[in-house]
Amino acid sequence: MAEITFRSVLLLSAVFRVVLIFYGEWQDAHMAVRYTDIDYFVFSDAAALMVSGKSPYDRSTYRILKLRGVPEKLSTYSAMVWLFNPFTFTIGTRGNCEPIVCSMILWILICLMKDNLIQAAFWYGLVVHLRIYPIIYALPIIILLDPLYFRHGKKPALGKWSFRTSESSLDSSNAEKTGFWNFFRSLITWRRVVFGILSGTTFLIFTGLSFYLYGWDFLHEALLYHLTRTDPRHNFSIYFYHIYLHYEHELSILEKLISFLPQFIVQLIIILRFAPDLPFCLFLQTVAFVAFNKVITAQYFVWFFCLLPLILPWSNMRLKWRGLACVSVWIGAQTHWLMWGYLLEFRGKNVFLQLWMASLLFLAANTFVMINIIRSHVFCPLFKQSSSKSVKDD
Amino acid sequence: MTGFFSSDLGMKTRSLQCVSVIFLISIKSLVLASIYGQTCSVDEYIAESYFKKYHSFIEREFDNFIANKIPLGSCKLLGDENLLMAKSLSRNVIGEGSHRWLSSSMRLKFPRELKHELTARSCEVVVIERLPSGVFADPFELQHFVQRGVFTDAAVFGDTNLELPSFRSNQTVVEIHMSIDSIVPLRDEDESEVILKVPLHARYQPLGHGFSRVEFGAPDIFTCCSSTEQDAAKMLCQPIPTSLIPDKKASPLMWEIPCGNKEHAAVVSAVTFGFAISTALLIVLTSVSYSRQ
Repeated sequence: MAEITFRSVLLLSAVFRVVLIFYGEWQDAHMAVRYTDIDYFVFSDAAALMVSGKSPYDRSTYRILKLRGVPEKLSTYSAMVWLFNPFTFTIGTRGNCEPIVCSMILWILICLMKDNLIQAAFWYGLVVHLRIYPIIYALPIIILLDPLYFRHGKKPALGKWSFRTSESSLDSSNAEKTGFWNFFRSLITWRRVVFGILSGTTFLIFTGLSFYLYGWDFLHEALLYHLTRTDPRHNFSIYFYHIYLHYEHELSILEKLISFLPQFIVQLIIILRFAPDLPFCLFLQTVAFVAFNKVITAQYFVWFFCLLPLILPWSNMRLKWRGLACVSVWIGAQTHWLMWGYLLEFRGKNVFLQLWMASLLFLAANTFVMINIIRSHVFCPLFKQSSSKSVKDD
Repeated sequence: MTGFFSSDLGMKTRSLQCVSVIFLISIKSLVLASIYGQTCSVDEYIAESYFKKYHSFIEREFDNFIANKIPLGSCKLLGDENLLMAKSLSRNVIGEGSHRWLSSSMRLKFPRELKHELTARSCEVVVIERLPSGVFADPFELQHFVQRGVFTDAAVFGDTNLELPSFRSNQTVVEIHMSIDSIVPLRDEDESEVILKVPLHARYQPLGHGFSRVEFGAPDIFTCCSSTEQDAAKMLCQPIPTSLIPDKKASPLMWEIPCGNKEHAAVVSAVTFGFAISTALLIVLTSVSYSRQ
């Protein structure tokens, strides 16, 4: 029996993506419905296409898992969750730039794990400039850069997979131990300040450069648009029908704040409870962010799918039957929504109410999956608190 | 941006302004004629000149533009008669759902011997569709058709913001150019047919009950040939008169698009927010009760 090595899996998935790209060319030329996303013409840089099919992303996932001491086979299987996920390979080969953003996020994780603070800050500033959503990662990263991990001028010791069940709860989540104001005061440490200033400067430089090149149009399209965006067209979000019904008159400030409240509450609690286990925290935050967002499109799913391989080795969830239940519920709710969406858009039936209820069901499915993932997760901080005893670098 | 005419002015001032605009356009044509040695030439797209001047689509202004921009009689393409005459025009909206096709099938009186001459001068049939505000045409999709050779050229003018619902956006105008080869001869010696299918998409409609009706008007059809003068970018255009077509206004072409129901607003908003808060609290509860041991 052939050994499933990571290399062979990587090769297979790369070949598969190249085949898909050729198929996409054929479909574009011969069929009325195009395979290639319209975004491809916007990001017509050929490098983007190569990167989305190639391995910088894939290697990063594998690398992070290896750094945390996950055995080769488990790392390979976890990486396969991305490589052979139908969402990710279709979106990656349609000419969408999401995989580039994903590889940047993973690279930032690697830099943090290797204590390359300056590099991490630079890439973080750049990725927030490209896609605004990674801004939600700012607070957990800041919390992670706790001086308790960085003693003796050495790199932080990484929490290993092999010790996941015996890991003590020695983490320095100050928010729970000390008071509110002490927490904010303790945020002012030199690592955190350096990270904040560097990433902020990078963001401003790139934004300034784009503004210089493209003027106010850029500012509106890339940034301000996200603040005022209310797209009434049907999408997975529970808010779409509410926005459509109120489109003719402006929503009051109160209404806008109320719709932001669930998102804010969930983000905050996830950060406060899980920040030290950074990959898990980022994953949960992204799932919640997408689920409670005003607009949800399929390409947003790629944002958390790329983080899924990073948390699987620490999950007690077995594929039978809990894992399978989560997958079926999530896909089932989506398919149900798509059915009503098809009736509305391609059959012209007035099914707005049913479509809205299907989106409520999808949020329920997302919540179900999140709750299950939280409950079967083994908490493992990314960094081990270094003590005054001799630190073994393993 | 208000156009040259404002709807607030009285009828007298409007007709006075109409006359003065026609006068000015004639003066402009004469000036152009003296410079370029020709009259009634247009840029690459007929509708482009209108939108350069007025910036947004206003029905009456566009009517004036079409009627007066190319004065009948002073644009002689070939010979003295109107050689291309429309005998019948049948229109239909094909398909289901939000993405349909506007199909126009036109029978023309088109003498065979004319075809060679028109092909030699790279003449085209130009159709201008004024789209009602409930639908739009995707310029990228039209470009795709141009690349595949279905049309020789296509352009969309007016408000091309694809995301806006129809009560926020203005009307658009689609201009399609087809080569003379798309005029297919029929069994009858002098008769030919040309079929045009324009892909259209529905916008989100204003709120109502059930469905919202969108009505299509008649297209404006022209024959355009490239100018024999030095300025190769210019075209000479002549409208194909549709006066022979009987009773165009009998049954207007309609498309029914589903729309949201205003009465749902209160319930939908309340349930949406209630649901969001409940699911958020469930997640909070799970996170708080999670033990890190």
